[in-house]
Amino acid sequence: MAEEMTAPMIGKIIKVHVSVGSHVDEDEPVVTLEAMKTEMPLVSPINGVVKEVRVQPGQLVEADDVLAVIE
Amino acid sequence: MKGGGAKAVEKQHASGKLTARERIDYLFDPGTFTEFDLFAKHLGRDYGLDKAEVPADGVVTGYGKINGRETFVYSEDFTVIAGTFGEMHGRKVCKTVDLALKMGKPVIGINDSGGARVTEEMGALSTYGQLFFRHVRSSGCIPQIALIMGPVAGGQAYSPALMDFIFMVEKSSYMFIAGPPLVKAVVFEEIDEANLGGPKIHATISGVSDLTVRDDRACLDTTKELLSYLPLNCNEKPPYVETGDSPDRLAEDMIDIIPADPKKLYDVHKVIKRIVDNGQFFEIKPEYARNLVVGFARMNGHVVGIVANNPLVMAGALDVKCSQKAARFIRFCNAFNVPLINLQDVPAFLIGSKSEREGIIRHGSKMLYAYAEATVPKLTVVLRKAYAGGYLAMCSKDLGADFLFELPTGEICLMGPEGAVNILFRKEIAASDDPEGTRAEKNKEFFDKFVNPTYSAGLQHVDDIIDPRRIRPTLVRALEVSLNKFDQLPPKKYGNMPI
Repeated sequence: MAEEMTAPMIGKIIKVHVSVGSHVDEDEPVVTLEAMKTEMPLVSPINGVVKEVRVQPGQLVEADDVLAVIE
Repeated sequence: MKGGGAKAVEKQHASGKLTARERIDYLFDPGTFTEFDLFAKHLGRDYGLDKAEVPADGVVTGYGKINGRETFVYSEDFTVIAGTFGEMHGRKVCKTVDLALKMGKPVIGINDSGGARVTEEMGALSTYGQLFFRHVRSSGCIPQIALIMGPVAGGQAYSPALMDFIFMVEKSSYMFIAGPPLVKAVVFEEIDEANLGGPKIHATISGVSDLTVRDDRACLDTTKELLSYLPLNCNEKPPYVETGDSPDRLAEDMIDIIPADPKKLYDVHKVIKRIVDNGQFFEIKPEYARNLVVGFARMNGHVVGIVANNPLVMAGALDVKCSQKAARFIRFCNAFNVPLINLQDVPAFLIGSKSEREGIIRHGSKMLYAYAEATVPKLTVVLRKAYAGGYLAMCSKDLGADFLFELPTGEICLMGPEGAVNILFRKEIAASDDPEGTRAEKNKEFFDKFVNPTYSAGLQHVDDIIDPRRIRPTLVRALEVSLNKFDQLPPKKYGNMPI
């Protein structure tokens, strides 16, 4: 089942750790979000394959924006 | 004593639930439960109910000892016409709360009911109201704990909501003000019970529930554990217990747990586990507003309430949800004489249009209000960030902290260097041949001058700058000297908290 990863809060994407098609383990960082003076690695909720990455470094995101889809 | 009979009991067991009386047997010390109103007769006069036998009117009421301490209980019996709330059923429940208040003992409400007994009409509705009235009048006098061990539907859902804590059992429990059939008929939404008001919804999204538990026995065990941290009433102190953990124990690995780089994250649970007795922490609302952690623990045997930012989630920023969670917990602790330990690592209140529209000003003020109002001992440790309103809202000395300690990694300030330098040296940076170099230089200058712990300690905002390994011994000493603290609010009817 596909899981959408969403931004927990408003901020800026500073790093994308994966690319489409790559395998990620549960709790492995997918992107890093900078917000509120902190760098937050956002981790995969499941073991799976990256189906979509919808952001790139430097991009600003709002809370609940979909960042990536893991399947 | 058999409730609704063998067939109904079998059905109750098949759905993974214990019966009302089995729950009572499991909860109380053997032989201590004393029932009242077993012979209370239902008051239904219509639709053939007048001829029906309704054992105990679907609820078992009484008192007994839990780990030696007297406690009142009402336990709804789903095997007796679905535990529906009729007039006598309601009167029995109200009497239980009345007695608990008069005797100064906690009350546990075990909810397992199909809702109002429709055939009794006003008899049920009015008794709901009388129960709500009693929950409110008892609030802050005795602990009131609601266990949701089956359905709680309709108006009855407000009974647990008016109590202090709500535990929900996985799979078998749900709470809503209107069930799926009514929701479909009135607002045309098709949804099942679990998604409308199951434990997951209430533990993670609505925040109605405080804890999800695996099954009936786990629910009752968890209740006993919670009670071990609570006084019987507001005139007592919470129970002291010898824990065998040395007050002088150092946490050697604390330096590795709290990263010096303020941009790096860590889980504050690791800090809590190392400073409380034997690492035992009873967390409340662990799945809701996870950017802030609250719960009970002991320090050198004394019960404390812990309020901690969790940098791991949303950088530990204070948002609407966590402000409500914190304020409610702080007010419970204050009502029942539980000292507060506040662990700060907070970048600020969450800013931005979303947060403003949610009313962060209105809801964030609840934390300020709750801390300022609290007269119990308040001990604060600044682990790392303590910025702006977040620093005040996590209980600075200005909000009444009795003692405040800061780690060398602490950063107490009105505004971070980046923001401040942009305002103070905007022209200078713009005019510089090397703007980024000038900016970095001004940042460092500002940091060394104002963010450095010696600055706030020099102005008495901080009592001491401490070694991270010594958080526990430092807090235990401060707690023990504060146990007989005297503080009182000015006489008033009550304060107008921003609810």
